[in-house]
Amino acid sequence: MSPITRRAFLRLLGASLGSAATGRWLAACGVAPQPEAGLPSVPSAPATIALPTALSPTETPAGAAPTPAGIPDLAVARGGDDPAVLVERALAALGGMARFVPSGASVLIKPNICVAYHSYEYAATTNPWVVGALVRLAFDAGARRVSVLDYPFGGSPDQAYARSGIQEQVLAAAGEMLSISRLQFLPTDIPDGLDLRSADIHEQALQSDVVINVPIAKTHGLARLTLGMKNLMGLILDRGVIHRNMGQRLADLTSRIRPTLTVIDAVRILTANGPTGGNLDDVKKLDTVIASPDIVAADAYASTLFGLQPSDLDYVVAGAAMGLGRSDLGLLRIEEITIGG
Amino acid sequence: MAEAGRRRGRRFTWGRARKATQAASLLAFFLLFIGAARQAVAPFWIDLSFRLDPLAMLVQTLASRRWLATSALALVTLVASVALGRAWCGWLCPLGTLLDVLTPRRRKPSPAEYLEPWRAAKYLILIAVLAAAAFGSLTLLILDPLTLVFRALASSLWPALDQIITMLERAAYTIEFLRPPVAWLEGVIRPGIFPIDPVHAGAGLTILLLLAGIIGLNWLAPRFWCRALCPLGGLLGVVSKTAIVRRHVDPACSGCAACARRCPTGTIRADRGFASDPAECTVCMDCVDVCGMDVSVFRAAPPKPAWAAYDPDRRQALTAIGAAVLGVGLLSSDPRRDHTPPHRLRPPGVVDADFLRSCIRCAACVRACPTAALNPALTDAGWEGVWSPVLIPRLGYCDYSCNACGQVCPVQAIPPLTLEVKRQQVIGAAAIDQNRCIAWADHTDCIVCEEMCPVAEKAITLETAVVDGPGGVEVEIKLPHVDRLRCIGCGICEYKCPVPGEAAIRVYTSVPALF
Repeated sequence: MSPITRRAFLRLLGASLGSAATGRWLAACGVAPQPEAGLPSVPSAPATIALPTALSPTETPAGAAPTPAGIPDLAVARGGDDPAVLVERALAALGGMARFVPSGASVLIKPNICVAYHSYEYAATTNPWVVGALVRLAFDAGARRVSVLDYPFGGSPDQAYARSGIQEQVLAAAGEMLSISRLQFLPTDIPDGLDLRSADIHEQALQSDVVINVPIAKTHGLARLTLGMKNLMGLILDRGVIHRNMGQRLADLTSRIRPTLTVIDAVRILTANGPTGGNLDDVKKLDTVIASPDIVAADAYASTLFGLQPSDLDYVVAGAAMGLGRSDLGLLRIEEITIGG
Repeated sequence: MAEAGRRRGRRFTWGRARKATQAASLLAFFLLFIGAARQAVAPFWIDLSFRLDPLAMLVQTLASRRWLATSALALVTLVASVALGRAWCGWLCPLGTLLDVLTPRRRKPSPAEYLEPWRAAKYLILIAVLAAAAFGSLTLLILDPLTLVFRALASSLWPALDQIITMLERAAYTIEFLRPPVAWLEGVIRPGIFPIDPVHAGAGLTILLLLAGIIGLNWLAPRFWCRALCPLGGLLGVVSKTAIVRRHVDPACSGCAACARRCPTGTIRADRGFASDPAECTVCMDCVDVCGMDVSVFRAAPPKPAWAAYDPDRRQALTAIGAAVLGVGLLSSDPRRDHTPPHRLRPPGVVDADFLRSCIRCAACVRACPTAALNPALTDAGWEGVWSPVLIPRLGYCDYSCNACGQVCPVQAIPPLTLEVKRQQVIGAAAIDQNRCIAWADHTDCIVCEEMCPVAEKAITLETAVVDGPGGVEVEIKLPHVDRLRCIGCGICEYKCPVPGEAAIRVYTSVPALF
């Protein structure tokens, strides 16, 4: 038998790789994208104290830092014509951004940039100046890195980033818009989940020191409203699963991501045809920003902007029952700030 | 001209200049292919190569009966060929360059003599292409070299490369320290070079097979495609018959036959006194480089009587026309041509009935589609429409914020619409299969289709109904309905429908309102 030359070996190797690739390609031809398998599994966060099944509304939720004396649980800023000022005043009322962003922290800001269809006036995507102000405040508090991302379901991320106007404001504040890829969603256990026990969650949501959740308040066919907890859906790959038993599954997802701070943009709200929008007649200008470290409380308060009760939102009910936050607005310390009197 | 070049020293040879031009042309073609996605490059440049292609433009004009001012650019190529012969083939054509590169290293000294008469075939193919176009069929344009290469890139090689890179990335991403570079690579290639999700292309294999077959013919004779089959080569050959600048052999020729051995098209032959047929010569100038006596020169001269060795005779020409007409008839009798299949969707703004008369099958729209929703049809459009673009919502949806396909189409087969107008184009109409829909059939809330619907006043509405849930308990549920007057058929509902396999909401070919 003649010895195998390098060239012959490389040819064989190339041929076998090529045929493997061809086979794979043929198998892939004409097939709709399938959920990936075989990605590395990320170990779940160290188990926290077992959550009590129900908390009284006055108890501090497990895992959340207790609110310092004299500082409200939730701040609402209204009025004026500068969304950035609303953010600054609401955060100041909560004790300043430094309370949430330690020096040197890596910060992920998650606005709602669900589609690439419209500019911010259509209230389908978070107000760009609200996001920009948060980036600036995070850096002022000493953040090492502030990244902004969302995974739009309509149109491509780069177009959505640009059309929403968010990219411009984030870059102006020296923040970073992260390009998004399916690779970055890592299969993750949800140890505290009652119904949803695992999901492919974006690595930045798992690895960042601080997650700031910045939804825009708008209507949604199933959830009724999309607010803070619903906005976290943009951090997972397969959103189809959340549509079943949505209230509980959103609470389950929230139990794994636990944003440090939720800032609800209600500068403009979308009152119909959400979450995609497209009609200015459906947009109502409220010039309001709601901020709270308690995502359930923020969502509960925001429901009232649409004339609803917190209990009208399944995920608020489920989140409160899991002890992720409080929904009894009567017992929360709420500071309301009016700008421009 | 030639002598002047040679006198400048050893560094300059025509061969080097030609190869550099070929490489630059192929690279430009490839870069414009990449730039066609995301409209990174202005459509003018993306279309440039197709609009320089006199075959595609002439045949498109014939078949569509519609004159486009933008097609006039192809006259540049025609006029240049009248002046310089088939220099396009030797210096610019991306397929020609590919064939030069992919020539077997150990080639036979002289190809078999029986291949010579095949040179007439390109004229017969050209006649067939023109005859079919006169009858309104553009199917044979799949043989145009530019569309051939672009289509293979867009629908075969690119999806394959995308899948290979995705496989490697997935493997690398499992290793912790490789994640940052992989993430960086992803940021570079998506969505600039590849779509956001890996592409799927159903007809990719067949498209590549045609290109592979053409490359395979190189083993019969170098550039056998260009010699014998290429209809564009045939067209340029016709106008090159009386080319102004053409090759002349000085009587001082020693008959060393170096040029004949080198000639990539085999048109320099000892039995013809080493002269060459301007309709066969690709003006590669290799003969000038190898000529030890400097007797092989290209210069302007009054046209000589044209060569006629490979001209098809009248009987052959009539046979080609007859075959083309018969072919058009056969293709037209395909039921899928006039009896539109229920899910054959065309790009936005296209009127299906007229589309195949103007689409040159170049796949520029396929490349430009950011969601990979446009695919070259295999059989969906009948054999006449093979490799014409169809929109397959299960593979991708028509992005509400995109109008790229109409912008890049070189022949306006897909109308160039503003985003506002494109958003109002009705591609089809969605309908729900209540036997498979999660809400209708399983009595479980879903509403994904309603959520995704991009039109300002949603074309999918939710009816709240009380139905028997699991265990006979009454539950309140939201049932989706399609408002067909508002639906634009973008297909995002079908794309995102969580029902596995065939979606429970599908876009049907729209039916004009009868009321």
